[in-house]
Amino acid sequence: MQRPVPLRYNLQVAIAMTIYVAVMVLAWPLVRTAQGMPVKALLAMLPVLPMLYVIGLMARRVMGGDELEQRTHLLALGVATTVVGVLSLIGGFLAAGGVVKLDGGVLIWVFPVLMLVYGLTRWWLITRVYGGSPGMECDARQTMPWRWRILLIAGLIGFVALVFWWRGDRDDTLLGMLCGMGAAMGVFLVVAAVRHLRGKAE
Amino acid sequence: MKNRLRELREAHGWSQGDLAERVEVSRQTINAIETGKYDPSLPLAFKLARQFKQHIETIFEPHKG
Repeated sequence: MQRPVPLRYNLQVAIAMTIYVAVMVLAWPLVRTAQGMPVKALLAMLPVLPMLYVIGLMARRVMGGDELEQRTHLLALGVATTVVGVLSLIGGFLAAGGVVKLDGGVLIWVFPVLMLVYGLTRWWLITRVYGGSPGMECDARQTMPWRWRILLIAGLIGFVALVFWWRGDRDDTLLGMLCGMGAAMGVFLVVAAVRHLRGKAE
Repeated sequence: MKNRLRELREAHGWSQGDLAERVEVSRQTINAIETGKYDPSLPLAFKLARQFKQHIETIFEPHKG
């Protein structure tokens, strides 16, 4: 299988995640007021589509990696599966014993926690075990600099917030959260740019 | 496993990225092999040996004991 191009992979994941956020913000709230079970089910399942696409991209990335990359991916996924499995077991027993109250919504967090543990484990493997750095996976010309990634994410969040506002939705908390996230990323980029320029001047 | 990969690579004037491209792996993998943190598979070891036109045993030396 051809080695994946990191720049294209990052862009595809960023776009898919933005679609996911847009669906969660714009379409998913309609689930509660939707009439008819088929429509409810369709709306409830809508966020799954971009996530399935991201999973497909990740699978292609793993299969296209070289032997060391595949080893780090699969070790990290093994650790993440174990951690999430143990947490689920603990949560399940606590819920079944009536110690904690858990509703089905907690299942939404399974995949994000899996990805978080996978990411941390892989970072640790690459930097502490195999002596590299996350950016060494590819030619620097083929990857998007982190500043541009944050700018892209901030822009996409801003776009979702704009659509949200244009639709006239009255959830000010959510709109404020989106604007806050985008603004925070923008401020971070400005500070990083200033530091970068100062470093160059010196 | 000790190896002469860095020495051979530098003798040919190749960067880690150049060698990685020639044997179709990531620069991270070449770096991990050179620093002894990762032992390549047999197919990769053969690929590397072919690049330098040497036998595997002259490039890679197993740890004694």
